[in-house]
Amino acid sequence: MPAKQLARAREEENVAAAIPTCVSGWLVPGLGHFMLGRRGRGLIFFAVVMTLFLLGLYWGGELVELDRSDLLRLLAGLAELGVGLPYFVADLLGRGDGTVTSVTYEYGYTFLIVAGLLNMLIVLDVFDIAVGRKE
Amino acid sequence: MTSHFLILSIFAFLISIAFALLMRDTRKEQIRFAIFSFVCFVGSAFVIGWLMYPFPS
Repeated sequence: MPAKQLARAREEENVAAAIPTCVSGWLVPGLGHFMLGRRGRGLIFFAVVMTLFLLGLYWGGELVELDRSDLLRLLAGLAELGVGLPYFVADLLGRGDGTVTSVTYEYGYTFLIVAGLLNMLIVLDVFDIAVGRKE
Repeated sequence: MTSHFLILSIFAFLISIAFALLMRDTRKEQIRFAIFSFVCFVGSAFVIGWLMYPFPS
């Protein structure tokens, strides 16, 4: 088997093994890197994503529920969901109702969305490392 | 906290760190990229703000 095909076969084997790590990384920001032995990076990613998320809540941002009738709200909700477990915890604690009259509402909303999107990027990075595409 | 500039700076700082860790491998490259990214974020906000200045609020 040529080296290229062998590498591809090995990568496919790694994909299945990478999924639990990616799911962990989605649920707890930075945990994927931590599990792959990149503890420093994992801690920094955790700190960055959680700071964005908590500041978003503090500034009156809204945790959007997935609403199929409104495409923009659906996309915003999916983006926020990217932050993983903190989204559900905040929702259970009754946070993230969104204070529309607050001066910082839009900032908070943006911070929440960016926290989720950033965590999705971090999970993709975990996937690349886990399957051997990235050192 | 309602300082738009401070909020912008916090945002740029956090995102720059994350981007640097995702896109660069060595510590030196990461620091350089984080600074570059931060300057680009804040600088572009100033440029866009300046371009929007003539428009009525």
